[in-house]
Amino acid sequence: MAAIFPSEEWLQGLERKLNSDSRYSEIAKNWEGDLLFLIEPDGNLNERLTFYLDLWHGQCRKVKYKPTPESYPSPAFTLTASYKNIAAILLGKLNPMTAMMTSKLKVKGSMGYMMRNVPTVLDFVRCAQEVTTEIL
Amino acid sequence: MQPLLKIDLTTGKTEEYRIPEKWEKDFLGGASLAARILYSSLTRELDPLSPEAPLLFMTGPMTGTSGPTTGRFVVCGKGPATGLWAESNIGGFWGPELRAAGYDGLWITGKAEGPVYLWLNGDRLEVRSAVHLWGKNTYTTQERVKEEIGEKSARVCVIGPAGEKQVLFASIMCDHGRMAGRTGMGAVMGAKNLKAIAVHGTNQIPVFDLAKYAPLRSESNRVLKQDNEAKVLRELGTAGAANYSEYMGAMPVKYYTHGSFENVDNISGAKMTETILTARSACQGCVIACGRVVKLGDKAKRKGPEYETIIGFGPNLLNDNLEAIVDLGELCDRYGMDTISTTNTIGLAFHLFEKGIITKEDTRGIVLNWGDVDTIEQLVNLIGRREGIGDLMAKGSRRFGAHFNAEEEAVQVNGLEVAYHDPRGVSGMALSYATSPRGACHNQSDYFFVDWGHTHEDLGITYFDRHAQAEKAANVARHQDWRTVFNSIVMCIFANTDPALQVKLINAACGLDWTVEDMLNAGERAWNLKRAINNRMGLTRVDDKLPKALLEPFPDGGSAGFMPDLANMLSAYYEARGWDLETGKPSREKLSQLGLEDVAINLWG
Repeated sequence: MAAIFPSEEWLQGLERKLNSDSRYSEIAKNWEGDLLFLIEPDGNLNERLTFYLDLWHGQCRKVKYKPTPESYPSPAFTLTASYKNIAAILLGKLNPMTAMMTSKLKVKGSMGYMMRNVPTVLDFVRCAQEVTTEIL
Repeated sequence: MQPLLKIDLTTGKTEEYRIPEKWEKDFLGGASLAARILYSSLTRELDPLSPEAPLLFMTGPMTGTSGPTTGRFVVCGKGPATGLWAESNIGGFWGPELRAAGYDGLWITGKAEGPVYLWLNGDRLEVRSAVHLWGKNTYTTQERVKEEIGEKSARVCVIGPAGEKQVLFASIMCDHGRMAGRTGMGAVMGAKNLKAIAVHGTNQIPVFDLAKYAPLRSESNRVLKQDNEAKVLRELGTAGAANYSEYMGAMPVKYYTHGSFENVDNISGAKMTETILTARSACQGCVIACGRVVKLGDKAKRKGPEYETIIGFGPNLLNDNLEAIVDLGELCDRYGMDTISTTNTIGLAFHLFEKGIITKEDTRGIVLNWGDVDTIEQLVNLIGRREGIGDLMAKGSRRFGAHFNAEEEAVQVNGLEVAYHDPRGVSGMALSYATSPRGACHNQSDYFFVDWGHTHEDLGITYFDRHAQAEKAANVARHQDWRTVFNSIVMCIFANTDPALQVKLINAACGLDWTVEDMLNAGERAWNLKRAINNRMGLTRVDDKLPKALLEPFPDGGSAGFMPDLANMLSAYYEARGWDLETGKPSREKLSQLGLEDVAINLWG
């Protein structure tokens, strides 16, 4: 299940993890919303990276690696971060709440929904960390 | 800087006071400069409710300049409940209006023979009778004063009936329910028979180098608008954090005895947004607009409550009725009372009633059942009118508890009631509350934000686990210095600005050439000065403490079982501060290093 970030295998691994992790399934049972990640280039990433996850009631219904942002014009949340910061989150070196509160991770979408579902957000990050073996 | 206007209400005499240039540079403005100005007049013997007691309304060098959240001012003096340094900052539009009238502050002493209000129209000051306004609530008073002076664009700050009756946590209000809530400055104003101060000005607000300042201001506001935290505050108000706070076990429940509130969704900022919110409101020049405008059954638009009011009237009293909380918050506002101290003292009454320490005999027949909204409302009215048991409660939780030989049950520090960010959930607040110069205050260092994850790496304020202990002491001290800068500017703590940009703004506004470190030194200087003021008024290390409730673990919630180790945290904090471990006074060396040699001589001989 574990893989190198960023890669399509990593995203598929995360999909499988989200669909098999009982803790995530319980915590996220009321979550309804898809996520579009926009990773801005720096370090070893030379061009903008996108990936998409459709999360619904504790399950991941769909993932898409490197979609064009236009193919998902109105996701519930668009999350933008530099490659360095997203890597730091995945390696556990940057607390996801710190990333949000210091705008290292920019959020577009309902902040109300996000604040009400912080446990889900944190557990999603835990799952993402657990499938990450290495950062390119 | 513009001068202050000194007004002696006993004699009616006024004079302009020019601030020494060195003080301007060393302290900038706001609460820091106020501390320097009032340093020699705040003595242990001074009765804060006497005519001799000063009451200083201070703006900052960026007040009214439309910089990032800089429409604020601060009211300073000696706290009637604490006997210590008191400051209470407030938004709205009054501060900018005062600067436009040509003054950077009003320094009020004396006591009028009967109720009066002041009308400052540019440089013309009138002292007018307020006999007919005495007893009127805060909103009505503002309206009546504006009608009488015939100047619609004037701004009026007022006290309500609670200030007149010297409720020791009475507040000062201006505009749309903006409050200088903490430390009882409304009682000091009431003790002077001063009901209101109306101001109107037409001058351009001074900025040292506007050409430099203007683009920096635009850039700061642009960045602030995009900030995630600002988005949460705009969308949900300050109560947007309620769910997260509860999740971590940082929201005290049932008078600080529990750390979990099942119905938090019913009282959260998100709930308010989804149900009763009709608009948002902002202080002068603010791009965040955390203020709430709500409608209830009567369809009238009214102020919606912020986090502290919601938790105070909500989980603290086991009440999950958001509409009732709106009403109760508004009732406090109309009386002119701080909602933190009011709800904390009501919580103590419920707690003592449950323990059998007070009975129906003490309450004159009122049964105090948790969550009973009618009873809560009854108690607010009794406090505001100083009737029945409300007269005792109006003295604050420390004195109320002491009256029943249960002072240790009161959740307060040095007479100021603890706010609703529990150190068992966010341990840095243990030091924030224990060492704040004005009692248990969450605004001198809102360190709970850092414990939630909001670091300031550029300032060396890094992340420690929310349950870390002594190892975060130096971090807390640095955060206090940072926030002291905010309180001198006077800037809202919700402005998540880049320190490098902030120092450029200060330099342009004040004609300085500071670095970020210089800016923090100014914060440290004022923090130590306020400490010295308190030391002179009798505060020692034994007063740096937490109430019993906060040193017992929560039985439930996200922080169950954790307790802050305050003794070790304090020792590390004193070390980081350069304070004497035995007495708690800033060392002679530290004071000299900060350019406070005269203070060092006062403290150490």
